[in-house]
Amino acid sequence: MFNEFSKGLFKENPIFIVLLGLCPALAVSTQVINALGMGAGVIFVLLGSNIFVSLLKGFIPEKIRIPSYIVIIASFVTIVDLVMKAYAPSLSRNLGVFVQLIVVNCVILGRAEAFASKKTLPESILDALGMGLGFTLGLLLISLIREVFGAGTITLFAMGSFDGVVRIPWLSANPARVLGLASGALLVMGFLKALFNWLEDRKERAA
Amino acid sequence: MKQIFTAGSKLFLICAVAAVTLAGVNAITEPVIRERGEAELKQALAALSPNAGTAEAVSVSAEEVVRTYYPLKEAGQYILELIGSGYGGEMKILALFAGDGTVLDVRLMDNLETPGLGKKAELPDYMLKFKDSGGPDRPVPVRKDMLITADADAITGATITFVGIAKALEQGAEFVREVNDVQ
Repeated sequence: MFNEFSKGLFKENPIFIVLLGLCPALAVSTQVINALGMGAGVIFVLLGSNIFVSLLKGFIPEKIRIPSYIVIIASFVTIVDLVMKAYAPSLSRNLGVFVQLIVVNCVILGRAEAFASKKTLPESILDALGMGLGFTLGLLLISLIREVFGAGTITLFAMGSFDGVVRIPWLSANPARVLGLASGALLVMGFLKALFNWLEDRKERAA
Repeated sequence: MKQIFTAGSKLFLICAVAAVTLAGVNAITEPVIRERGEAELKQALAALSPNAGTAEAVSVSAEEVVRTYYPLKEAGQYILELIGSGYGGEMKILALFAGDGTVLDVRLMDNLETPGLGKKAELPDYMLKFKDSGGPDRPVPVRKDMLITADADAITGATITFVGIAKALEQGAEFVREVNDVQ
């Protein structure tokens, strides 16, 4: 049972292994805080959609499953968007368009189709948490690399006198700006994927 | 036939439940969001000029760049609500102008720019590059080559946002000069 949770973290990590949800992942990973906000949004929506898809699996006919899933996912995204706008306006301002983009995040539809529509409710909940956390971890790794080398900063939540930005001495004066741009996202993703492939390859050879 | 009917009505049922749920959420959050928007506008106006609280809003047009303006009669200044077109659609901009069209202070309000790139225009230092332009001495910088190198570097990756704000401010400055001449 625990495997349903842990597989999303590493073995079937949605970003690095399954390569799902790359568009939003690469678009928001310019700053660490965006990765955290996007990750939280995805975990919430994934949890909601997996729960409902799993509960309704006997009710939804095969032929209309995709539109049904999209309606369920879109409803959760809209709820997240409205609640964030009303009660967490600064987060909403920062994430802006990306919240609505969660609708088309294929991680969520992918899990509904491949997992929640066939499995029990507890399994689907664990799967959602694992995949959501795995997505967040992947996003965090990409955004950390891009922000540290691309801007020389680490942006977190502002608290009290701390403005939320950690500046790294030499790097913030000499950043490799390309990493912060769209092409940098693809470069970082490519190198990370190569690294993970190499690691897996090595493990297989050793075995 | 029956199969299609069952599938259709089930899909309809799912949509109906979703719609009702969303209507409920919207009914709760809508007043909170509207109130927050009004409070933010008031706060931004007060930050631009201490006299703004008493100024009366004058609507201009729902389609032009200049939507509304607040004449600050005592100071001879104007606050303009401008709509610029950015990378993610419309951007709402509040700007304080002197009577001769000089930009004194700017705030970026609602926008859908890319986080980490265009969104940086919300930071307090961003608008310094427009300060004191737009008057008779210096035009509003609407192209990257009209900026000093450090400023030009800072907008790399978000040129469309910069041009959107600059063009709106340029039109705002012109508008202020016209209104000021009439009075």
